[in-house]
Amino acid sequence: MTLPLAALIVIIIALVAGALALSGFIWAIRTKQFSIQHLNKGAYLVFDESEPVGQSQDMIFRPAAEKSNGKSHAAS
Amino acid sequence: MPRHKKNDIAAPNQEFRHKETDAARADKQLRISLDDSARTPTMLYFASAVFWLLVGSLFGVMTSLKFNFPDWLGGDAVWTFGRIRPAHLNTIMYGWASLAGAGMIVWLTARLCRTPLQLGWLHYLAAILWNIGVLAGTIAILAGYSQGLEWLEFPTFAGALIAAGFLMFAASIAQTFRKRNVDHLYVSLWYIMASLLWFPLLYVVANLGIYQGVVEAAMNCWYGHNALATWFTPIGLAGAYYFIPKVIGRPIYSYYLGLIGFWAFALFYNWNGIHHLVGGPLPTWLVTVSIVASVMMVVPVMAVAVNHHLTTVNHFRMLRYSPTLRFVVVGSMCYTAVSFQGSLESIRSFQEVAHFTHYTIGHAHLGVYGFLSMILFGAMYYIVPRLAKWEWPSPRMIKLHFWSASMGILLYVVALTIGGWLQGLAMNDPATPFIEVVNLTKPYLWARSIGGTLMLLGHCVFAYQFFLVIKRAGPRRFAPALFREPAPMEGGISA
Repeated sequence: MTLPLAALIVIIIALVAGALALSGFIWAIRTKQFSIQHLNKGAYLVFDESEPVGQSQDMIFRPAAEKSNGKSHAAS
Repeated sequence: MPRHKKNDIAAPNQEFRHKETDAARADKQLRISLDDSARTPTMLYFASAVFWLLVGSLFGVMTSLKFNFPDWLGGDAVWTFGRIRPAHLNTIMYGWASLAGAGMIVWLTARLCRTPLQLGWLHYLAAILWNIGVLAGTIAILAGYSQGLEWLEFPTFAGALIAAGFLMFAASIAQTFRKRNVDHLYVSLWYIMASLLWFPLLYVVANLGIYQGVVEAAMNCWYGHNALATWFTPIGLAGAYYFIPKVIGRPIYSYYLGLIGFWAFALFYNWNGIHHLVGGPLPTWLVTVSIVASVMMVVPVMAVAVNHHLTTVNHFRMLRYSPTLRFVVVGSMCYTAVSFQGSLESIRSFQEVAHFTHYTIGHAHLGVYGFLSMILFGAMYYIVPRLAKWEWPSPRMIKLHFWSASMGILLYVVALTIGGWLQGLAMNDPATPFIEVVNLTKPYLWARSIGGTLMLLGHCVFAYQFFLVIKRAGPRRFAPALFREPAPMEGGISA
């Protein structure tokens, strides 16, 4: 039984994709992405000292210090 | 001596406060520099996306009106249903949703990697190629050169331009990721990086041009569903996982659940497409495997739904103020709804009624509009003022956009869900003449057109506001454009 060329191409691509996914998972294990320490701090990565937990970030629009020139308007 | 002692105690405290202020200042400076690095590419993608949103939704309303006035614009082949509908689909998917998603990814990646955007110049080329690809593909569809496969209607040359643009976009994001200054990847980054791996593979495999007959149909369904799985859903979830905690100021309820959700999503979603071919000439086991995987999608969907709900709980009052939060939370709720609906729709007995009816169109719009587009709107309401350094001009216009979009999609989905189900029941009854089935759907198709027009109205308002921000025109605001001013105890507003 011969394998159609289309099937062969798709199977090769599927194997490459599977290998990439597996290597991604192994990389995640090796770099301790699932360690308790990483997981405990992971949720806080979107915050920092100037945008800390407990402060709503959509409620802040900081007008620029240079209000007078009418050009700069710093929202961070 | 007592005086000296007093100074000893006071000094460290003062020093600590000083250091804290310095750290906050340093973080703010870093954030501004990251935003600066992503500014032009992000705004370029957003501006293109807004243009395609207007074009695509205009095609959408025209498509819908053709159900109400079948002879309207029927004299010229360019404006017939068979061409306008794929033009609507492709401009919305590859123009609006993809380009807005690309803009959001560029900005989010720089922020989450805490690294300035790398190879930013590639995005200029990527945006140009992508836009030319969408433009050329749309013209080709209208001129009658469609490939005839849903979501793959663009001719090969247009698809190649989009693929080349995507590879350039992905190269820059991958390089930014490689240069990241964080050890741990936030869950949004998992979705973003996975989509960069998945979507090019999907697009290339689907465009190989080596399929015929039943295999081609299977590939088409596999591609169509996986375009959602590998590109659009990761974009939406990456946005929701970032903006909900960020706007509320509260970490995601369970980070563990977030990662479980991601890996379950990666495991189950890509098997789902073949459930579109229930009853088709495919091996039964293949369809059954797809149905099982579709039902198993309940696991990642529950993980996301529980996480987002429990992060937002006790903070729902903020929906009264924050445009970003309101759009994103509505989008997230629609994700839960459309995903459960999708699992249900995959089951054979359900498909006996719902398949090949308007029900499916309502489901598709709940996903791409209710979920994805609402989250993209929310993301843009957050990102654009920070990059343009100009606040949205009018809370009233944001309100108009929100209500016209949300009422439009609600009317659209409810009408097509009810109308589609009744249509399915009637079509299954051999005693009912086909013309009666058509007449039965008419009121629901009118509701569809009204819903679509409401959405188009919202898009016009949104595009006008976006134009004003780009031009730095309109009333100048020194406070956030919120729906209303929060009471001091509620919002913690500071200007």
